[in-house]
Amino acid sequence: MLNKLMKLATAASLAFAGATSAQAQDEGVLGEIKARDSLLCTGHNGSYLGFAEVDAQGEWQGFDIEMCRALATAILGSPDKAQIIPISWAQRFPAIQSGDIDVIIKVTGWTMTRDTELGLQYSRPYFIGPFYVMSRSDLGAESISDLEGGVFCVNAGTTVERVLADYMETNGIEYQPLAFEKGEELRAALYAGRCDAIAGFGPFLSSTRVNAPNPDDFTIIGDVIKLEPEGIVVRQGEDDFLDVINWMVTALLLAEENGITSENVDEMKANPPSATVERLLGVTPGVGTRLGLQDDWAYNVIKTVGNYGQIYDRTVGDDSRYKLPRGLNNLWNNGGLLYPLVLD
Amino acid sequence: MTKLFTSQKFRRTAVQVLFVAAVVLFILATIIVGRTNIADQGIATGFGFLNQTTGWPVSFSLTDVGPRSTYTEVLFAGLLNTMLVGFMTLFFATLLGLFLALMRISSNSLMKLVGTTYVEVFRNVPVILQVFFWYAILTHLPGPRQAYSLADIAFFSNRGLMLPAPSLSGLDILIFLVGCVAIGFGLKSIKSKKTGLRLPLAIIAAVALFVILLVTGRDADVPLWSVPELKGLRFVGGVSLKPEFSALLIGLTLFGASYIGEIIRGGLMSVDKGKLEAGSALGMSAFQINRYIRIPLAFRAMLPSLSNQYIWLMKGTTVGIAIGYPDYFAIVSTSINQSGQTMELLALLMGGFIVVNYSIGFAMNLLNSRLKLKGRS
Repeated sequence: MLNKLMKLATAASLAFAGATSAQAQDEGVLGEIKARDSLLCTGHNGSYLGFAEVDAQGEWQGFDIEMCRALATAILGSPDKAQIIPISWAQRFPAIQSGDIDVIIKVTGWTMTRDTELGLQYSRPYFIGPFYVMSRSDLGAESISDLEGGVFCVNAGTTVERVLADYMETNGIEYQPLAFEKGEELRAALYAGRCDAIAGFGPFLSSTRVNAPNPDDFTIIGDVIKLEPEGIVVRQGEDDFLDVINWMVTALLLAEENGITSENVDEMKANPPSATVERLLGVTPGVGTRLGLQDDWAYNVIKTVGNYGQIYDRTVGDDSRYKLPRGLNNLWNNGGLLYPLVLD
Repeated sequence: MTKLFTSQKFRRTAVQVLFVAAVVLFILATIIVGRTNIADQGIATGFGFLNQTTGWPVSFSLTDVGPRSTYTEVLFAGLLNTMLVGFMTLFFATLLGLFLALMRISSNSLMKLVGTTYVEVFRNVPVILQVFFWYAILTHLPGPRQAYSLADIAFFSNRGLMLPAPSLSGLDILIFLVGCVAIGFGLKSIKSKKTGLRLPLAIIAAVALFVILLVTGRDADVPLWSVPELKGLRFVGGVSLKPEFSALLIGLTLFGASYIGEIIRGGLMSVDKGKLEAGSALGMSAFQINRYIRIPLAFRAMLPSLSNQYIWLMKGTTVGIAIGYPDYFAIVSTSINQSGQTMELLALLMGGFIVVNYSIGFAMNLLNSRLKLKGRS
């Protein structure tokens, strides 16, 4: 009897010890990612051109995908450890809550409802999304009010639906809305002439135009109907993970501000031009340990995916087929709205 | 005590009670665990969001909804859209199905061939493809400025079919519909010897009511008929059938008709040949045999499978989401995205369909029990 009791007690204490040590290692999702050795990140069901698309080789490409890879590199040391999960706009919030994905990097606008009622937390904006209207060129519209009464197509369930309704009501323009669940169907309807105009995110419109049978059939109208800051989303309470994300974005911006590219990063590391660069690239310690990462994480990120400008140019900017101008997504000293935090 | 356990009756009851209790416990546990988990994640729960305004418009609705409507109003509009396209589909598919069945059982071999080909083609292609197909055709028509026009009062373009309409308000239409029902009941009381008078009288009364409604209660400067007219990018006036609605209606109707046609054919063929021969032995004409013997008997045989098919077709309206028709499913899907209240909205989605489909099943069962042969079958 005593023997049995002893055995039970040992087993219980062992189990308890196991539980506590696992807890110590496993600090929220950051611990899970390290234990799993992969980062579960959002893709798209289909293609959201320029941001998450599958190329001819079957590889995921795009701005958001590069951000996922940068994050995977920062935490796990390799961009290949980002596992892209195809997910629709509507599924992204349930999916992060159920743990199917670790992080939402999917041009997700920072709205009060999402921030307060869905149990989510946003990073600082990593992309500034302007909303425009693109209309058929043969209508000759020069401003949105010229499209009075027209059919405006949008993606169902996105902020665009609301943004457009607000703009039209404020400006007293009557219009006929038409919402499509999938981007492919929206594009098909536009190309077929079912819509007079589509409203959306600047990058989305320019990629839609590029893919049209004849791009000149469509014109992006200059009026910015709204500006939406896009953030990276994690579950509520994942503060450590959010810190890593915010500083990953800052590292990309700092690199661009200081002229560090994937090509010259080794040179910069060998001869750092300033104390900030020295800290950023891990020449002097601190940038990693404070976040629970390796000290060379920023160096690895810049080495593999480049700085913010390089990612932008490669995926949606001048080096891509979309040729989206930097505009508001430039650094503060180039007329944009982006700026890095202070690395001390 | 042991006697109690050996009693078969007691054991059976106990097993049943335990089973029901286990199921109820399981459901309760699921709800409680779900609620706690959601609360732990900091997600707002409950149906409070239904009173918030949506902020987004709905492209097509029977009621007047806009960005300032509440979620309740918009969801209701979505349910109405589903029922509108669903019930119209049931009506037209049944009509077309009846023709198909008659073609397939006719002795004319050309008719048979046409009927069979139709059924085989439309039954074997997935309904979503058919809806896509019709939507592609309708949206590839010329734009509104190059619309096909019929004497400048009706227009057909990729914005839909625009038809002239009488200037009746929603209230007028309601009065008219109620009036028609009242006329129907009123005339039923006419003595049976004068039944021949019923139909003409009914038509005259309905037309009179229509004219009265049209002429009265209207602002002086409003014309009797509202005719569509191209103004800027759109047509104003008249009524319009949007391509999303039309494509869904056409696709579902043609698909559903092939199934309903087969059900009706099965029903007609199930009627015992002897009964038909008995009819002709009594000197009934072919029409009388069909009207009084064949169709009533066939109808009973096909009702159960017909109600299945009706319920299926009503659920089939959810493919509307693929072509931008704002049916209940599409509205719920958008609401989930905009409000984030996934569980609540999914519950409403299921509840809405259960109510609609249960009503169809209930009505069909009622019809079935009324038509059932009394006494022996």
